[in-house]
Amino acid sequence: MKKIDRKDFLKIGAGAVVGGVAGYTFSGAPFLGFQWLVEWSQDQYVPAGGVEKYVQAISESCVNGCKVSVRKIGERAVKIESKEGVCPSCLNALQLLYHPERVATPLKRSGEKGSGKFKAVSWDEALKDISAQINKAISEGKANSIAAVNKNESINGLLMEKFVRAVGSNNVYYEPTWKSLTSQALGGYIKYDFAATDYVLSFGAKLIEGWGNPVEMQKVFVDWKKKGVKLVQVDSVCTRTASVANEFVGIKPGSEAALAFGIANYLITEKRMTSTGADFAKWSQIIINKFPLSKVAALTGIAEDKIKKIANDFAQSKNPVAVAGKGAYGMSGSSAEIIAVYCLNTLVKSRAASLVKDSEISYVAEFSGIDKFAKEGNFSILILNNSNPVHNSVYGEELKKKMGKALVVAITPLINDSAAYADYILPTLSFLEVETPQNKAAVIKQNEAKDAKEIIISLASMVEKAKAAMPKQVSDVYNISNKEVAAGSFSFNVDKIKNDIDLYEKKLTDKEYPVTLVPMEVPLVCNGEGLAFPYVLKSIDPTILKLGKFYVQMNKDTAKKYGFSEGSSIKITSARGKIKAYVHLTDTVAPETVAIPLGFGHESYTKYGNDKGVNPKKIMTADIDPLTGIADWWSTRVKIS
Amino acid sequence: MVQFIKNIFQESSKNMRITLYVLITLVVLFAIFAIQILFWGLGYTDMNNNFTWGAWIIGDLGLVALGGGAFTTGYLLYIFRVDKLRPIINSTVLLGFMCYLFTFVFLLFDLGQPLRCWFGFAYPNWGKGVYPASMLTEVFFCLSIYFCILCVELIPTILEHKVLIKNKVIATIAHYMHVLMWTMAAAGTFLSFFHQGSLGGGMWGVLYGRPVWYSPHFFFMAVVAAIAGGTSFMTMMPYIAGKVMKKEVVPMETYQILTKVSGIVFVGYFIFRVYDVYTAIVKYAPMNFRDYFDMWGGYYGIWMLVLEFILIISAIFFLVQKKYREQEKFMVIGATSGILAIVTSKLSVLLHGFSVPNFPWKGFTAYMPTIQEWAITFGCFACMILIYMIFAKWFPLFPHLEHEEHEAHH
Amino acid sequence: MIVKDSKMKRKWGMAIDLDKCTGCGACSLACNQENNMPIFEDDSDVPKRVAFLELMKVTNDRDAKFPDVKTAYLPKMCQQCEGNDTHGHKADPPCVSVCPAVATDVGDDGVVSQIWSRCIGCRYCQTACPYEARVFNWWKPEYEGTFKEGLNPEVSVASRGTIVKCTFCSHIWKRERDKAVAKGILDINAVTYTPACAAACPTGAIVFGDLNDPNSEISKLAKSDRAVRLVNAIDDQPEDKKKALMEKKQYPNPKVYYLTSQKWLRDMMRFKKNS
Ligand code: SF4
Ligand code: SF4
Repeated sequence: MKKIDRKDFLKIGAGAVVGGVAGYTFSGAPFLGFQWLVEWSQDQYVPAGGVEKYVQAISESCVNGCKVSVRKIGERAVKIESKEGVCPSCLNALQLLYHPERVATPLKRSGEKGSGKFKAVSWDEALKDISAQINKAISEGKANSIAAVNKNESINGLLMEKFVRAVGSNNVYYEPTWKSLTSQALGGYIKYDFAATDYVLSFGAKLIEGWGNPVEMQKVFVDWKKKGVKLVQVDSVCTRTASVANEFVGIKPGSEAALAFGIANYLITEKRMTSTGADFAKWSQIIINKFPLSKVAALTGIAEDKIKKIANDFAQSKNPVAVAGKGAYGMSGSSAEIIAVYCLNTLVKSRAASLVKDSEISYVAEFSGIDKFAKEGNFSILILNNSNPVHNSVYGEELKKKMGKALVVAITPLINDSAAYADYILPTLSFLEVETPQNKAAVIKQNEAKDAKEIIISLASMVEKAKAAMPKQVSDVYNISNKEVAAGSFSFNVDKIKNDIDLYEKKLTDKEYPVTLVPMEVPLVCNGEGLAFPYVLKSIDPTILKLGKFYVQMNKDTAKKYGFSEGSSIKITSARGKIKAYVHLTDTVAPETVAIPLGFGHESYTKYGNDKGVNPKKIMTADIDPLTGIADWWSTRVKIS
Repeated sequence: MVQFIKNIFQESSKNMRITLYVLITLVVLFAIFAIQILFWGLGYTDMNNNFTWGAWIIGDLGLVALGGGAFTTGYLLYIFRVDKLRPIINSTVLLGFMCYLFTFVFLLFDLGQPLRCWFGFAYPNWGKGVYPASMLTEVFFCLSIYFCILCVELIPTILEHKVLIKNKVIATIAHYMHVLMWTMAAAGTFLSFFHQGSLGGGMWGVLYGRPVWYSPHFFFMAVVAAIAGGTSFMTMMPYIAGKVMKKEVVPMETYQILTKVSGIVFVGYFIFRVYDVYTAIVKYAPMNFRDYFDMWGGYYGIWMLVLEFILIISAIFFLVQKKYREQEKFMVIGATSGILAIVTSKLSVLLHGFSVPNFPWKGFTAYMPTIQEWAITFGCFACMILIYMIFAKWFPLFPHLEHEEHEAHH
Repeated sequence: MIVKDSKMKRKWGMAIDLDKCTGCGACSLACNQENNMPIFEDDSDVPKRVAFLELMKVTNDRDAKFPDVKTAYLPKMCQQCEGNDTHGHKADPPCVSVCPAVATDVGDDGVVSQIWSRCIGCRYCQTACPYEARVFNWWKPEYEGTFKEGLNPEVSVASRGTIVKCTFCSHIWKRERDKAVAKGILDINAVTYTPACAAACPTGAIVFGDLNDPNSEISKLAKSDRAVRLVNAIDDQPEDKKKALMEKKQYPNPKVYYLTSQKWLRDMMRFKKNS
């Protein structure tokens, strides 16, 4: 046998290496290696599997009482489904449940007010301190300096109202809703029987975009379509409601009340119709003298004939109804307007609108409404029950200052603009973690937060004066029954609103501020609550927020007149201040009008909600309505540059 | 090594030094941003869900079309035996090689998952017959094979390096490779027809949902465009090199042949392009219920089309007529217009094509490459220039030059 | 488990009644949640946004002036194009044949599938799609902290640099099939399902069903006078011209039908001269 010499050895070695590499390559192993490299370098997250299960839950934090079915994989909730429709805030429940910035434990302020610095404390410590201060205020005879702001009239709101009243304070407020607004203006809120009506005349109420009870209204809308109910929408922005309406009446912004006056005028003088409301004679005299059809036509930009036609159609329908309360989630309207619109219902004796009251919610407080309270009120203790008045009220800035001097307790799952100024933050659970008489909690508690009801009850149990009047435990809460009762008779309250009516015309024709700023609402964003949720951010239209730029909408001709083009920057100045944005041109907005999306410009609302757009409430009109105590901010005279 | 580089800089003129600095800076920037893009993804580009491709694809289309001059020249030389082209063939092959190399580089950057690029070979989208269903599958295969061919074609140039050629074995290999080159040229031309067509035009032509692009003949037009523009490109590069080196690197008559070819093919291209626009106006746009001229708008308006035609006509005017072509400056103007005409057409396919709204309520969009995209695009071009310079300096890129030097020595 | 020779007889389709759509956004939210859409702090980079369903706001201010204007919302997802192959061959949507890696294909049920782990990210399919229905993960999909808890295990999380798109929630079909199989029902044609968006719509504007079944609601809606498909005007043509056009290979032929009684919306769906 030949001895293998060095050269051969090298040859064989080289051959082996070549063969090996070739074999390795063709075996596909390197490709598998690549595949692995791909996965490793991308670090894909794989959601854990588990047994699928559906559980039911009912929301107690919204007024609709949304019923949902939760799809669970193991212990995780992965989807919210519902056969009956869900309100936007419940649609977002899953994102709230798993929000990384949810407050997990009670927090106590550890830095300057508003600095956003908090430290975790125990429930005991927090409640003890808060209750001690409440007790102190009571014993010092300053019970009325304890105040609360509720987000809405849900069970939680109800309980808070009970607590504040039990403590001996009259200072309980609700963020403006169609209920609170009309209750204050009319002495009871309007109960609409939308199923019975055949003609709806809406004064800027975005009926299908979240107005009133959004879940309910969606059903009403489908029903109207089937029955062929006629909807006439009066608005200065072409919203979706305006487009599904049988007739869209474009109107100069802010002149909705004038139109109502005009129609009333026509029905009273030409059709000899009367209303049974107190002070009707006085009111009608003012309207007839001050708002003849020719003037109404000039103020609203709607031709006289058209006004007459609307009035005739309205009066001749079988069961017409006129709806007041502009907006959807952010609600606004002066009492003069609400009264005038309601007057139309009484003139035609509409059977689809009646005044009712809640037995447990009176809306009677120290000040007539939240804005007035923010402006003039004095408080030493303020409890925010899931509400965000700093962002939502035109007096947010003033309120902030006052909060600096008081003890502020925020009951909320996320730190919002108002909670940022709190001394204590008491975290609440998402409704999915709460047990109700009908259902067990849909998912286990994610952190140390508690149900809002439980928080209020435990706080009450530590306040001597409130103990007796309050439920002892959560299950007792369901024994409180909030019934609908008939409201007293309707009054025009002429003495109170006369001044407003007198000034109205002047307001609409302010020469110094030639353009009108009106809000517009964005799907899912609502009045700003939605912005903390990433899937809401995902659905915001590029005409509103794009690449960090916030757009207001302007009529094309108006833009040309003032020298704006698509995308140019704009400074909007009102008597109260100025804001900056960019312009999107669209003829869906009335001439001489700028429409600004509502709900943006949060100062503190998780990293998802922060630094997005501007909050127009800062510059919106802050004239407080004499009856509702809420600023009539809907239309603001501004100049633009 | 350091000394070596220092020497190069010291030997060069001031202008040359500045050029070198600029080129090297670009290459360094390329390297830096390449890492960013490869590791953190395409978010850093200005491409988006509407403008799905950008600067790099323009680079691809341009490079492949212009690199197409390589197969044309090869074909003329090796198959038609136009021997006067021999002085330019090495340069041509190198340019072709680089064009394709950087096409790959651009394509790789454009992939969201560059590590999965081999999926294109592993799971090719072949249709029912032999013809691939996806134009990109065709691009994948043809481009890679043709690239291999260009590599083989390039080898003799390297082997003929004055040091290497002294080795007997190498000399023999180089010799036989040269002899066999016609097979390569033939195969290359065959393949080129496919990927020129697919990457340059077919890719767009088959998108029947998008009326801006859809046209069945787009594939063939791209081949013509590549021959027309590519030959101009192959003329201009050595011409510029010659100007920089202040030597006659390629004899004028060689340029004349190529530019003549370019000019004549441009006539064909012109006719084809007119037909293309005509059919788009009367047939393909209306078939999709769109109006051809309404699809021009925004920043990339009809001026792009006008510019393209002006450039094509200028190329034809100066290159076809002998009296102009034979004057150096008109030849240069003609060939440059030719190159620009092709570049403009690719720009308009892309920029205009993507900017057209898909929904009546959306407007024209625009695209502004980010610094990353610019750096990578121009970094690649800088690499190409550097490689070309290296070859011009140390390798027998221009046999004519050595020939002359040789003569001069005697 | 599945019967071998049971051939899929269904062809899923969708009808979206724009007259009933209020623009509430429930469909968009449900889709995002169901399909594990990535979560970013600032999602206002709309052209790079990753979402299957786009709630497009459509107005007619191109043609009209205030107050004759109109606004509508139009939920747009992958239209599951059938392509124009009228010769009874396999469906041929614009986006499928172009993929160099066979990462996207048409199922027997007509749904255009997308394999995220196969996609190389060349975006050719995105270029081919006339409806901007495909989205690319320009950034790595992120799910901050506890947001991961809400992810649906049936939809895998995509890598950066891949194309994703709506697949008519075909994972829900699989879910329903598995349930049927567990009950001993092996016929795949017995399985029906509802995609997340259709299930979430509070006004019932989104109807989903089998286009092959002439008695299904969707088949009837698709044939109604109100039905129109996005952007292309071929549906408005007389039958013979339509057929001729279809044979010329130029129509995506979507399986999503939009229903509207509004002339302005039909007009807005078409490109107009001099717009
Ligand atoms: S991006 Fe992915 S799915 Fe689309 S064509 Fe390329 S490889 Fe195929
Ligand atoms: S809509 Fe786009 S992604 Fe969907 S099937 Fe059609 S072409 Fe493909």
